Amino acid sequence: MLTVDAVDVFIQASHILRSVSLGVGPREVVCLVGRNGAGKTTTLRTIMGYLRPRAGGVEFRGHPIHGRRTHEIARLGVGWAPEDCGIFGDLTVAENIEIATRTRPGGRPATERIELAFRVFPMLRRYAGRKGPELSGGERKMLSIARALALDPELLVLDEPFEGLAPAIIPAVSEGLAAITELGRSILIAESNIHHVPEYTHRLYVIERGAIVFAGAQEDAWRDPGLARIIGSAT
Amino acid sequence: MLSGVFHGSILFLVSAGLQVVFGVQKIFNLACGSFYALGAYVGVSAVGWYVGAGGPPALFIAPLAVAGLAVGAVGVPVERGLLRFVYDRDETFQLLLTFAIVLMMEDAIRMTWGTSPRSTSGLYLTYGRVGVLGTTVPVYNLIVIGASLAIAVLIGWLLTRTTFGWIIRASADNREMTEALGVDMRRLHTTVFTLGTALGTLGGALVIPATAAMSEMGIELIVEAFAVVVIGGLGSMRGAFVGALVVGVLRSIAISVYPELEMLLIYLIVIAVLVLRPRGLFGGPPA
Ligand SMILES: Nc1ncnc2c1ncn2[C@@H]1O[C@H](COP(=O)(O)OP(=O)(O)OP(=O)(O)O)[C@@H](O)[C@H]1O
Ligand SMILES: [Mg+2]
Repeated sequence: MLTVDAVDVFIQASHILRSVSLGVGPREVVCLVGRNGAGKTTTLRTIMGYLRPRAGGVEFRGHPIHGRRTHEIARLGVGWAPEDCGIFGDLTVAENIEIATRTRPGGRPATERIELAFRVFPMLRRYAGRKGPELSGGERKMLSIARALALDPELLVLDEPFEGLAPAIIPAVSEGLAAITELGRSILIAESNIHHVPEYTHRLYVIERGAIVFAGAQEDAWRDPGLARIIGSAT
Repeated sequence: MLSGVFHGSILFLVSAGLQVVFGVQKIFNLACGSFYALGAYVGVSAVGWYVGAGGPPALFIAPLAVAGLAVGAVGVPVERGLLRFVYDRDETFQLLLTFAIVLMMEDAIRMTWGTSPRSTSGLYLTYGRVGVLGTTVPVYNLIVIGASLAIAVLIGWLLTRTTFGWIIRASADNREMTEALGVDMRRLHTTVFTLGTALGTLGGALVIPATAAMSEMGIELIVEAFAVVVIGGLGSMRGAFVGALVVGVLRSIAISVYPELEMLLIYLIVIAVLVLRPRGLFGGPPA
């Protein structure tokens, strides 16, 4: 589904990503874990086309997408929920979701897509008429994922979906994500807190100072003492 | 009073263009004044040609409005050829570029139409006058006020009911996120800028039956449009509407009571708003 192949990314003069590779298969949940500043957001922003790799490539469903513009990548079927949620404050919750069905029409009917987004995050239904600034952090996170889902994508790319959530809300978001994979979508999650990595994650990548230092199953990551130090302290 | 509302209607059109461009592109487009001036000159020429071709005077408003809107197409080359190169530069640079456009257009207008004022001889009163609230006003003023109100309603409908409007509001808020929903930002920028330009040129075209087209009219209008957005709040359409009315009416009151104070009164209000309510009447919360 998604293959990131040995990308090198520079932001101005600094070399941020060093030969980062990762893959997400159909229906897979993949987590990219790393401490603050390790390069998670940079990796995801490269996938989304906000940043261009200087070397290496990104493929989505067989199409090379590095060098494509962000809106083209979105139209190919990649849904994006950024770290800061990117909620449109001037639109209501319902409009934030519906706009994704209008900017990428085609495929499943809009009503179905909207209904699905609300079904995955039922809490949002109560706030349908509210505007962005009136939402709590958790509601914003859910809305941001729901909107990405309403785009009807094959792959969702989520930057720290659990960050700043009240502990009581984390299960709701986690269940929502599980429901999304059951619908046949793939999910790539960036996470700085290893304890937030959902148990249903198929594969884990650990990134440290812009390089992937581990790829494999969650349990195996814990067995590696050097790695446990990195991700164990990643809070 | 009603002449103030007339002036306010024109001012609203230009300010609405300014606001929508600021909202999406985050550029304070000083050139909106030049587009206004351009619309005025093109309007004079179009009406001149129309009357020369023997068109019935009673319908002169049609070629005027069509020409005013059509010349808004100049927004396309200005955005594609100039503005798009500065979206990532800092604001001072963007402001300087739009000021450069003002100067260039002023010269282009002088070269094309000369330096003496141009007017549409006598058409202003084609529709006669009517008595309203104890004074008589040219019917043409009422037509423009009505058209401007209709455009305000249309813009409101566009922003709240259409996909295009939702995209404008979304991208004003978060450009990157809007792209991630599949919106081609380059195309949106060109469309929005052209729309903003067309509002300015239409405003210029509609004003010229009432006043002559002069090359300085652009600069004068920029100053007033600036007052409008300060009073109404930068980026807000409702702000443009209310601000334009306030400035238009105050200006006409000042002119009738004490003409020398015309702009001073507006500046005083601008300063008061800046001190008491820096974001204007309809400005958003601090970013
Ligand atoms: N615009 C920028 N200019 C220069 N350096 C940057 C820029 N953005 C990010 N960096 C650097 O790139 C590195 C990776 O940043 P990135 O945001 O990808 O980390 P992250 O893993 O997402 O961290 P966090 O957990 O804080 O979100 C950091 O060292 C950061 O300082
Ligand atoms: Mg990050």
